[in-house]
Amino acid sequence: MPLTLQPIIRLLLDDTGTTRIVATTSEDGSPYAVISPFLHLNHDGFFVHLELLETSITNRNLLRNLWFDRKAAINLTGKDGRSVLVKGVPVKAIISGPIFSEYYTKVRQAFGDADLSTVWLIKPVEIVNETYAERKIEEETQYPFSVHLDRLVNRKKSTQKKDRP
Amino acid sequence: MTQRGEVEHLNDIVAKYPEVPQLIILKTDVQRRGVFYTDSALSVLDEKKHSITGTHIFGTRDGKIAPRPESLLLRDGTSIITTPTAIEDNPYVVDLLYGQPYLFDGGEPIEEVDYWPAPAFYGKLTRSGIPMQKIVSARPQRLVINPHRYCTFWNNSNGCTFCDIVAQIKKGKKDLQIQVRPKADEIAEIVAEALNEPGRYSAVFLTSGSVINGTEPFDEEIDIYIEVFQELGKLFRTKKFPSQIIGTAYSEAQLERLYRQTGLMSYTADIEVLNEDLFNIHCPGKAEWIGYKEWKRRLVNAVDIFGRGFVNTGLVAGIELTTPHGFKTEDEALSRTLEEAEDLASQGVSTVYIVWSPRPDTVIGNQKNASLDYYIRLAKGLHELRVTYKLPIMFDDYRHCGNHPDTDLSRLLPF
Repeated sequence: MPLTLQPIIRLLLDDTGTTRIVATTSEDGSPYAVISPFLHLNHDGFFVHLELLETSITNRNLLRNLWFDRKAAINLTGKDGRSVLVKGVPVKAIISGPIFSEYYTKVRQAFGDADLSTVWLIKPVEIVNETYAERKIEEETQYPFSVHLDRLVNRKKSTQKKDRP
Repeated sequence: MTQRGEVEHLNDIVAKYPEVPQLIILKTDVQRRGVFYTDSALSVLDEKKHSITGTHIFGTRDGKIAPRPESLLLRDGTSIITTPTAIEDNPYVVDLLYGQPYLFDGGEPIEEVDYWPAPAFYGKLTRSGIPMQKIVSARPQRLVINPHRYCTFWNNSNGCTFCDIVAQIKKGKKDLQIQVRPKADEIAEIVAEALNEPGRYSAVFLTSGSVINGTEPFDEEIDIYIEVFQELGKLFRTKKFPSQIIGTAYSEAQLERLYRQTGLMSYTADIEVLNEDLFNIHCPGKAEWIGYKEWKRRLVNAVDIFGRGFVNTGLVAGIELTTPHGFKTEDEALSRTLEEAEDLASQGVSTVYIVWSPRPDTVIGNQKNASLDYYIRLAKGLHELRVTYKLPIMFDDYRHCGNHPDTDLSRLLPF
């Protein structure tokens, strides 16, 4: 099954309350993360990130990633705490033509007098489940030594002792 | 050392310069060798969707005027402005791979490409009934206007050795009904129509042949630009709007007039080759009317008017190596070119290059251009000068021109 057909991706992207973040790194590895309010999937299963500013750090980092086959990261986190991280490679920068015009119009409908620099297509290559409730269970099951002991204390028993005269 | 014209393996150059994006090396090589479109590739060409050759101010490498893609787009948004080339001359081949136009070399698929999208105004007529694309053309993000398609340097046979503008207009007038000098108000009518397409254009670009006439030489050339710009200016709510001309090197008074009376924001005067002796040989008209040192002085003076990052000059890279007068080695050509480019950069003038494409109707059209290795080293060198001297080049970058491998590299400049 293609990565982006995983139900949780669709569910999160269909929810307007989901926080959408695109994270990149610069040439020297410095991290950079921005909200990507228009982030969605296209019909081919690529993430579509709309970069509004030509000279933004994200735009340059995505270009460097495309040129040198490096990955960016996308985080989707829903209001209910469900969260996934997607690693992907930028594969296309669309700057002209009908697809660009369509998004340009959408951006301006949403933001008023805004501009659009680039429509980025990001091909997902790996999905990591970052939903805390699920990761917590996984962690405690697989890595019992990661748990602090105070969380394992039998509170009921110690409370009973304390209550004795 | 690689010799000029020798066929190099793209992968060898990619491996040699890991800091240069493979797509930019590929673009440069495609420009160097040209392209040949197969019948399959041409079968998906659709004038409703794609820009088709029609209003080129210059000719093609194979000498033909025929409907073919105006140019190509790579995945990174970079254009490959290239020219159809005869298959016998070993160009890259554009064919289809699973229905997608693809660059092939030696039968191997190399990279997907898109044909330039057609502007919405193509196919429409002006009020006087002229097809709009005969007067104004478009790159992916730029409107292109040629207000005067004739160069008066050719009046006494002093045109540039690599240029076929006059030969092309003769062909164009006959085969394409291209006007030498379209009317300014008709140009503005077309631009107004073009601007109805959302997000399609981020600059207006004008270039013409040199016009020596006027009280001061080139006054008439400036008058032509001013007339067109003033008509265009009526379309915008700001006095200045993103725009560029490639013109002759003008005097301070002429530049002031041009800047003050128009919305023009950037200025290019192509010196073509950075060596005085070679300039005199390859650009005899420019040498006769202005001269090499004066051309450079005027470029530097233009920075005071347009500002740093808004003035540049272009090279037709490769002509400096042509026989019998050119540099004997690519190392010498690179060193001498970059030395003079640095002198200009230190004074606020950027240098950009196009890959010289030898065309049949030109004086040196029977010679070969330089090696891919040379072009990559030149792109790196010019880009590094912009880094050193903190010179922005957005007005002539991948989005606004697309014809300069060196400014493609400058997309990552942090200024």
